[in-house]
Amino acid sequence: MTNGVTATLARPFEHIPDAWRQPLGLTLLIAAAVLFPLVHTNDADIDSMANAAAYAVLALGLNIVVGFAGLLDLGYAAFFAIGAYTYGILSSFQLQPEWSSFWEPFRILGLVHKMAADTGDGSVVRFTLSFWLALPLCAGFAAFWGVMFGAPTLRLRGDYLAIVTLGFGEIVPIVVRNWSDLTNGAAGLNGVSAPKLFGWSFGVNSTPYYYVAIALVALLIFISIRLRDSRIGRAWMAIREDEIAAGAMGVNRTKFKLLAFAIGAAFGGMTGVFYVAKLQTATPEMFGFPVSVMILVMIVFGGIGSVWGVVLGAFILQLLQSWWLEDLTGWLNVLGRAVHSDWLAHIDLVPSIELIFGFILVGMMLFRRQGLIPATRPQTALSFDQQHAEIRRGGFNDLKLQGLGGDVRTGALALEIKGVTVKFGGLTALNNVDLVVPNGGVVAVIGPNGSGKSTLFNLVTGLLDVGDGSIRFHGEEILGLPPHEILTKGIARTFQNLRLFPNLTVMENALIGQHARLTTGVLQAILRPPSTRAEEAAARVWAMEVFAIFGNRLTPRVGQMVAGLSYANRRRIEIARALASRPRILLLDEPTAGMNPAETLELAEQIKSLNMLGLTVLLIEHKLDVVTTLADTVYVLDHGEVIAQGTPAEVRRDEEVLRAYLGRNAQAAAGMAPAGMASVPLPTLGQ
Amino acid sequence: MITRRAAARLLAGTTATAALGAGLSPVLAADKVIKIGADLSLTGADAEGATRVKDGIIMAVDAANQGNAVPGYTFELLTLDDGTATAGQYDPAQAATNARKMVSDQDVVAAIGPQMSGAGKAMAPILSQGDLATITPSSTNPDITNPKFAEQYRPAGKPIYFRTVTTDAFQGPNMANYMAEKLNIKSVYVLDDSGAYGVGLADAYQAQIEKKGVKVLGRDRLDPKAADYMTVLTKIKALNPEALYYGGVGQAGIKLAKQAYDIIPNTIKAGGDGVYGASFLIGTGFPAADGWYATIASPHLTADTKAANFVKAFTDRFGVAPEDYSITAYDAALVIIDAVKRVAASGKPVTRSAVRDAIQTAKVPTIQGIVSFDANGDLADRTVSVFQIKKDTSAKLDDISAQYHYIDVAPQV
Amino acid sequence: MTLFDLLLQQTINGLSLGAMYALLALGFTLVYGILELINFSHFNVFMVGSFIAMGVLQLFGLTGQDVILTGLPLVGVLLVTFAVTMVSSGAIGVAIERLSLRPLRNVKGPAAMITTIGVSYILFNIILLVCGAEAKNYPNPMPTVRYHIAGAVLDLRVVLIWIVALVLMGGLYLFVQKSRIGKAMRATAQDAEAARMMGVDVDRVVMMAFFLGSALAGAGGLIFGLYYNFTSFIIGFTAGLRAFTAAVLGGIGNVPGAMVGGVIIGMIEAMGGQFIATAWTDVIIFSILVLVLVFKPAGLFGRMAPTKS
Repeated sequence: MTNGVTATLARPFEHIPDAWRQPLGLTLLIAAAVLFPLVHTNDADIDSMANAAAYAVLALGLNIVVGFAGLLDLGYAAFFAIGAYTYGILSSFQLQPEWSSFWEPFRILGLVHKMAADTGDGSVVRFTLSFWLALPLCAGFAAFWGVMFGAPTLRLRGDYLAIVTLGFGEIVPIVVRNWSDLTNGAAGLNGVSAPKLFGWSFGVNSTPYYYVAIALVALLIFISIRLRDSRIGRAWMAIREDEIAAGAMGVNRTKFKLLAFAIGAAFGGMTGVFYVAKLQTATPEMFGFPVSVMILVMIVFGGIGSVWGVVLGAFILQLLQSWWLEDLTGWLNVLGRAVHSDWLAHIDLVPSIELIFGFILVGMMLFRRQGLIPATRPQTALSFDQQHAEIRRGGFNDLKLQGLGGDVRTGALALEIKGVTVKFGGLTALNNVDLVVPNGGVVAVIGPNGSGKSTLFNLVTGLLDVGDGSIRFHGEEILGLPPHEILTKGIARTFQNLRLFPNLTVMENALIGQHARLTTGVLQAILRPPSTRAEEAAARVWAMEVFAIFGNRLTPRVGQMVAGLSYANRRRIEIARALASRPRILLLDEPTAGMNPAETLELAEQIKSLNMLGLTVLLIEHKLDVVTTLADTVYVLDHGEVIAQGTPAEVRRDEEVLRAYLGRNAQAAAGMAPAGMASVPLPTLGQ
Repeated sequence: MITRRAAARLLAGTTATAALGAGLSPVLAADKVIKIGADLSLTGADAEGATRVKDGIIMAVDAANQGNAVPGYTFELLTLDDGTATAGQYDPAQAATNARKMVSDQDVVAAIGPQMSGAGKAMAPILSQGDLATITPSSTNPDITNPKFAEQYRPAGKPIYFRTVTTDAFQGPNMANYMAEKLNIKSVYVLDDSGAYGVGLADAYQAQIEKKGVKVLGRDRLDPKAADYMTVLTKIKALNPEALYYGGVGQAGIKLAKQAYDIIPNTIKAGGDGVYGASFLIGTGFPAADGWYATIASPHLTADTKAANFVKAFTDRFGVAPEDYSITAYDAALVIIDAVKRVAASGKPVTRSAVRDAIQTAKVPTIQGIVSFDANGDLADRTVSVFQIKKDTSAKLDDISAQYHYIDVAPQV
Repeated sequence: MTLFDLLLQQTINGLSLGAMYALLALGFTLVYGILELINFSHFNVFMVGSFIAMGVLQLFGLTGQDVILTGLPLVGVLLVTFAVTMVSSGAIGVAIERLSLRPLRNVKGPAAMITTIGVSYILFNIILLVCGAEAKNYPNPMPTVRYHIAGAVLDLRVVLIWIVALVLMGGLYLFVQKSRIGKAMRATAQDAEAARMMGVDVDRVVMMAFFLGSALAGAGGLIFGLYYNFTSFIIGFTAGLRAFTAAVLGGIGNVPGAMVGGVIIGMIEAMGGQFIATAWTDVIIFSILVLVLVFKPAGLFGRMAPTKS
């Protein structure tokens, strides 16, 4: 939000209360923007500001795609072009189809006029789409193309995405140039109508354009911030941070990627309408690769993902070109004359603008990557008290987790895996595996490294779609469903190698866990009706309740970036994130890996208490003490096959298990250990 | 903002003082300064050409100041760059901003530019509202001066967009006439370079040559940033047309000429003023440049030494040969200076509106002959001169006057 | 020309283009394979390479296509020019890596890629400001020798392109497969962390990748000049983009894939120009790229190294 701006501005005003700073800064900013053309009446400078504002809107649009959703788009100018040409064509003489009764309804709506043909005989259609109508229409049309261009790229990884979007960015101006019947080609459009307001045409007066541009910037800043701080924005950031984890946490990646493309494109299309209306012409050269790159430079310069940052970046870089460079050249020349330096007196910085941009770009990347206004808020360190507070373990007594699990031990089956086989090329990762998890039970899967445990989890949670067989969850076949649908059905998981969203806060991670349980759509996110506010508030309350399982391990850290936390805490966050989705079954992939014995014991107790509340658990674990404490049933996998199953005690005595784990020579030693004791864990081969 | 403007004023003052101190112009301190605006694409791919254009204007303005062409007035150039790093080349939005800068500076009485039609389309309505005339040395798209679009490009009524260069509507078709009637070609292949100038020229050429009954065997478009035109030339070779017409500027033209020499050496090759100039000669080199036909949209004054003198003076001063558009820009400046002179002589105040009216009635002897304008602002004289490159080893290989041999005036449409 | 002659001629054209794209594509692929970085500065290292080579040729007293050399002097001049160009271009690549990319090695996200865009701007504009925007007539000592095959013409320069490209690509392939540092490169491409633990000097490997890629780009720049008889500050973009497309098409990170991808793009350009129109060349190339990636997201031949998680 405005924190970055106001923090800098407010330093001399430290006596102003914190709560006042943001509204005050915002008010000042708005006042300055509104008053600018009244105070400074130079038409050209107002025009420069309007152009800069248009680029700010473009930067905001690209920021949604690149900054929020992390989809590197190198052809963003394509949408700018689509919006510009759509309005340009529908409000100029470019197309003049012959008049027929077909056009009559459009004439009544004011979309077309009847006009005498140039040739003298008959009448033709003159398109007169209103600017105000064109803004949403062309935004929608650009959004449509955003989806069309986005759809083929969904399966592509970041860099491939970059090259394909670059390709689309090249294709659009070429089509515009070559399809000259539609676009008037390289010569550029003629006679695009200026906007009209209550019958008064804006004409070439730059002040009304300035106000429209500023209003657009304000609107889109508002939309960007609202989206960012909503379920939608969190889903985008989850995709940006870790696509696989996002899917596993219930984010429909296809939908949200396309949504980012569409909304970003809509911003671009809207800017196109504005830009072409102001210029009253458009040429294909206005939308080339340099434009896409420059918009990217603006958001990098301002701060990727930072709403205020990208606006600032756009303004600075645009005004640098149209104002400051000429002035700077002038000052240097004056200085040169004063100090009798011939070189300085004649230096002209204007032709070097691109060189200067190059240095800005490299310099920013090397020395200030987060941009002028970083997207991530500075973290408040924990207070001494918080850091040294007594470590309260969570436990049964504190738990208020109403609505979690609730499945009682009815004997019915929660998860039923039958005859599942997975092959990677020649390698059989799982071979005809059968496994059942009773409702309310705790089932552990153990086995040496490479035995197929994680493959099994990936198959159950939909991260793999190559298996044969059947996986039923409460009687419903789920094999082959996408991850987000599986999570929605109530299967949540953690990952062996931790897949958190590192640059988001603890709270945001837990909120993303609830993604599938929340209903906020784009409109609700922007308008924030009371129902949405209530939903959001409830989501935060629920997250805090989930954190409370871990006592005060996480509660004081909810506002902190995950990346900065300890390993054990990150493990806990991952469990909390999974729990936040209100699962009916929790799949834990080595939840205690990397924890010390005390932490391990603590976590085992916490899992136990969750199970007591009725949560079904399927667990991969190497530490036998944990398995013994928690599990009702243990399955042992080796080379993709179930080699044993039974209670922990039974499995411990199974010879085949011992052989798989320890080899023959170790059998005797292992056999001496008293069954059920935690002191001799199975070797943690999975590490 | 205030500091910015104050600094600009200070700067203007310093410039004038420095000019006096250096003794560059023998003017009286009481001289009224009038500004000529210039909107050129000084950044990006076209920067070098724009600099030549600017140099041409500087030649005319300095000469006027030194020769005290208009007693009581000193000319100053307000050069604005319409190229931006954002567009990587000329940017119509910046051109529009520049038009506003000129309009809002009351000392600017007339302008030169822009170079590109796309920029011109964005500037014309603003200039019209500001009643500020501009003379373009190089933008040839006919739309801007077409009466059909008057409502769009001169909303205030009077023409404000003048040209010291013929529009595509004449240069291409006249050359088509020449090739059909004088070279008697029966078939042709037409190429353009994707730019507004090139596409417009090639379109106009193609329309006329088809009317003349010459078979157009194909039409294609070159990517000026690409290097390899062998593919399209191979295709042309297979079609075996008698002639190749290229509408476009030197950037793609040079590469085309080089590769065409290898692949279709015996085909007649022709272009517009984009292939007329020292940079085309230098870049293409001989023997590849040999035999190309080029046109310029003005009469060729054989007996006149003005052009040769200008080329020499220009080369001496700037160290490079002038481009064709240096000449048209120089001429544009001459027209403006002459208009100011006539207004001043008539005793009326030198206002934009008076200067515009004076430009409209101009009859100015320039390097390209007598310049006068029709009612729309286009050149009244629509002569298109045809040249052919023939290597003349006795002269420098980049000497336009030696290497381009004047042939004839192309038959008018 | 018969249709056969025409196809043969366009094939020759396409293969020449393809050879040049392949040389450039290798630089992209080497760097991408090891760093997973799209190196946009590579575009303009190629361009700078062609200017360096022009300078070297001018030092030999060559200015245009007037002075023709044959025999040993020709071979000598070309060898020296290739050597100087490749070493200097390689050095530029290494400098880019050291100064602007190494500090960003472990930074996630698009930072490094954006840096290369910045470097590209810098190189491009330095050449523009120093050498000017006009296309430069390239000094070329090669005699014009043409072989007629059926109705098609095969220029000696084309043969030179093919030979040089094949030798350089073959050399690179052997280097990557056989040499110690080549093995280290492949190991780093597979898993930089593991390679480091096994004692591979990753910094050196990355530097080597930049050196080799940039040297090949420089050689490409020289070949470009000799083939087209011109150079200009602007040649990097289109050629670089198509070469990059070639690398992606073949499966970026995959050395043989880059070569095949280059040839495919070259052939598409030639045949597309013949049977559709050069006005649509980029549309055709990018459409094919999109189609390939939709159905085979890892390119035609897949990545040499598995995707890092």
